[in-house]
Amino acid sequence: MKALVIDDSRVMRKIVGGILVDAGFEVVEAENGQDALDRMAEHDDIGLCCIDWNMPIMTGFEFVVEVRKHAEWRDVTLMMVTTEGEQDQIVRALAAGAHEYVIKPFTPEVILDKLQFLGLVEIEETV
Amino acid sequence: MTIPDTWEPLTDLDPILTIAQDLFTTMVDGEPGHLYPWMGEEPTLDDARYTWVDVSGPVVTRVMLMAGRETGEHLTRALLAMGEDESVNDADFADAVGELANVVGGNVKSLVTNPGTLTLPVVTHEAPDMAGGTKLIETYFGWKGAPLGVALWALA
Repeated sequence: MKALVIDDSRVMRKIVGGILVDAGFEVVEAENGQDALDRMAEHDDIGLCCIDWNMPIMTGFEFVVEVRKHAEWRDVTLMMVTTEGEQDQIVRALAAGAHEYVIKPFTPEVILDKLQFLGLVEIEETV
Repeated sequence: MTIPDTWEPLTDLDPILTIAQDLFTTMVDGEPGHLYPWMGEEPTLDDARYTWVDVSGPVVTRVMLMAGRETGEHLTRALLAMGEDESVNDADFADAVGELANVVGGNVKSLVTNPGTLTLPVVTHEAPDMAGGTKLIETYFGWKGAPLGVALWALA
């Protein structure tokens, strides 16, 4: 599956992208919400977006709202990955159409657990 | 300047210590124990850089990280998985330390009631003008033997 990592920080794109590549995803990057919409239009096989909230030009929240206006993207899984940890922010994002919410800082296991919950990866249990 | 009650949690050092150590454990070092409270006198930062984000609200709270350039370069290499001999350019430096400030700021923001919005990070060579502001906390950590500062200011 192809995943779009949306963050204005190259550091965060590298960290999140690395976790996803290790989990078997092909990763595409975008620096803000508008850039991400352009990437979505270019790649019609994106199945997962990992989205920062605070970005210049278009925020992650605005991106989620915009994506949910498009019927052709209704099956795309949207996961916020952000420092915005207040309850009302989480509720807003989920109400707007995000499926999951990860608060920075995070470990790779947190991301993988969310992806497993969403049915996007399988994690082998060790006995 | 009087600090609103909602900002009271930011005068407690423990949450800042927890936020900083969680950040370094998960994103910088990959294991706990490398970031520790700085003991002794307030350190001097060589070729200091100042990185901050602001949290708007009843007053603006500035969350600022302070580090020497060399320490910031070590952090950048750690975050971007660069080799120890690789040179760090200004864009990567600003991106890396800016993201650290962003994560600390976002977690500080979640400590207060109705905090408003978080600004994008700013990185400078000189300390920003805090005239009229009130320092809530300034503390230092050690990482790889070098000092790193965290300061929270309430700005008018």
